[in-house]
Amino acid sequence: MLAHQMAMESTMVQAEMVEATEFPDLSNQYHIMGVPDTVINHGKAKMVGAAPEGQLLGEIMKVLKN
Amino acid sequence: MTNLLNEDIRNQVREAFNSLQEPVQVLFFGSKEQCEYCDDTLKLVEEVTSLSDKLNLQVFDMEANAAVADRYNVSMTPGLVIAGEAEDGPIDYGIRYAGIPSGHEFSSLIQDLILVSGRDSGLNQQTRDFLAKLEEPVHLQVFVTPT
Repeated sequence: MLAHQMAMESTMVQAEMVEATEFPDLSNQYHIMGVPDTVINHGKAKMVGAAPEGQLLGEIMKVLKN
Repeated sequence: MTNLLNEDIRNQVREAFNSLQEPVQVLFFGSKEQCEYCDDTLKLVEEVTSLSDKLNLQVFDMEANAAVADRYNVSMTPGLVIAGEAEDGPIDYGIRYAGIPSGHEFSSLIQDLILVSGRDSGLNQQTRDFLAKLEEPVHLQVFVTPT
């Protein structure tokens, strides 16, 4: 899983796969509807769909700039 | 005792595990309180880790082993940490699972075990360069559903 690969590469990254139906409160908190849905830094950004490396990096970059 | 994984899957996984290199530690965190999938997840990781000598499983309870859960920043159960196994303890790469890795996520689990055993992320150079420059923590939570 790409997020796990990023966690592997950098000690600054932690990546968790969350099974949405088992954690409905958390899923509701982040308005999870379609999956996969990648929530970055506790809701600073969200990406629906299996995005390629470049796209996920782009979203992370945006979050860190703000 | 019937297995969760049928003979076919076990053989396929055993085959995939031929590419395991360094040893891997799976840390399972369960809870006796309201954890519908804890038993099944534990059984699953027991079966998976039994398919290779290079995979080891440690089982923890959120209440009894609260300090360990804290160290690994685990709060949701069933929880998994996929770590490298080294002489002086687990190498924590920040790889976590919350909930049972079934369906499509089962193959993610197998891939992750192979990834960690290779001790390399497999990412392209551009991505590595970007990640090397990170000055703040990045927390990714990928929500999935069992298919």
